[in-house]
Amino acid sequence: MTEEKFNALRQTDANLRDALRMDEAEVPKMPADLNERLMQRVAAQEQKKPRHIVWPWIAAACVAGVMMIWLTPPKDTPTDVVAENKPVVEQPSDNDKEEKPEMAKVETEAPVPMPTPVKVRKAQVQTTVAKRDAALVAQETKAEEPIAQPVIDEVHNDLAVAQTAKTQEKSVTLTERDIPITRPENYKYTPEEIALLKKQANEAYLRWAELELEIAKHNLEQTASK
Amino acid sequence: MTGIDIDLIRGLREQSPKAQRMALECYGKEIFAQVARMLPAVEDAEEVYQDVFVKVFRNIRMYDAEKSSLRTWISRIAYNEAVTWQRHKRQAVIYFEDREGKAEQLTDAEVEETLGHPNSETVQLIRAALKHLPPDERAVITMFYYEEMSLKEIAFVTESLPTTVASKLSRTRKKICKIIKMLQS
Repeated sequence: MTEEKFNALRQTDANLRDALRMDEAEVPKMPADLNERLMQRVAAQEQKKPRHIVWPWIAAACVAGVMMIWLTPPKDTPTDVVAENKPVVEQPSDNDKEEKPEMAKVETEAPVPMPTPVKVRKAQVQTTVAKRDAALVAQETKAEEPIAQPVIDEVHNDLAVAQTAKTQEKSVTLTERDIPITRPENYKYTPEEIALLKKQANEAYLRWAELELEIAKHNLEQTASK
Repeated sequence: MTGIDIDLIRGLREQSPKAQRMALECYGKEIFAQVARMLPAVEDAEEVYQDVFVKVFRNIRMYDAEKSSLRTWISRIAYNEAVTWQRHKRQAVIYFEDREGKAEQLTDAEVEETLGHPNSETVQLIRAALKHLPPDERAVITMFYYEEMSLKEIAFVTESLPTTVASKLSRTRKKICKIIKMLQS
């Protein structure tokens, strides 16, 4: 059937149209407040809907932060320390150039780990050695001349002072305060420092062993007395 | 499409509450009647009506003015919502089914005689017969005869072809006649 034929039927089927019209009249009417309720529902849904979705941005920021931490190359602290420490090293003066071998000898005899106290001690030793050397030079120059007793005494005194300084230097012990290993620049020790630390560790071990022996002896005596 | 329709569609696309209210005023009553025809319970009709317009407001961007008018597009959503609601409800309603094909044996002349000649008694019989039709057939008959929609528009609403709608209309007319004869006998 074509559209025209059905349009004609629409006009001819009067009974059917009347029946439908009557039925439509009996269809329940729309409540007056239905549209208002609907608008409230729509408004409530609009409020519930988040305007800006934030969590993808937070996740992206976290990922970027982790990647930055992961990909950033670590700082080369030892080289920095070396670079920083270089200027601190004392430049020997012209007068000290001649005395270099003896100074080196002294320093190897008494390796000092820490920069600040070592500097002081080095300065003390250097002054002492300089005095002694000066005395020796004077002695040599005046070798042909008759040696005066006061000069010899002075030289002896200087040597004694140097010897005392040496012994003092040997008896210096480092504490935790002297070696702040928590500071990054102290992570790397010089060979002298390592040698001193080993020496101290050995001494400490020996003392501990002696102490243990004494405790054991004491215990034996206690047991024997009982 | 009129200028008012264009403004209305633009307002709906902008989610303007004013345009939404206007759409409800323009099409609300017709859509509620369409839904109430398919769902006898008023509460169900109200629920489906709200769902229909929420969908309309949410999916207005999918509306294509070249395919149909706004009214027809909203009718389509309402028809689908009502059919879906009925399927979910699964109400135990018995409809007339012409399984033996006796209605098809009726001639066009008999059908035209029953439905065409004005007769108040026949009108009441037709009203009784309409109550025995399945909701989809009842909806098609109403859309064609009462709302005077074209076959193409009905096909758009029911998501079928105009030829399918035509054959369904023809079959439903004969079915109404058959029910009337059964009631008379």
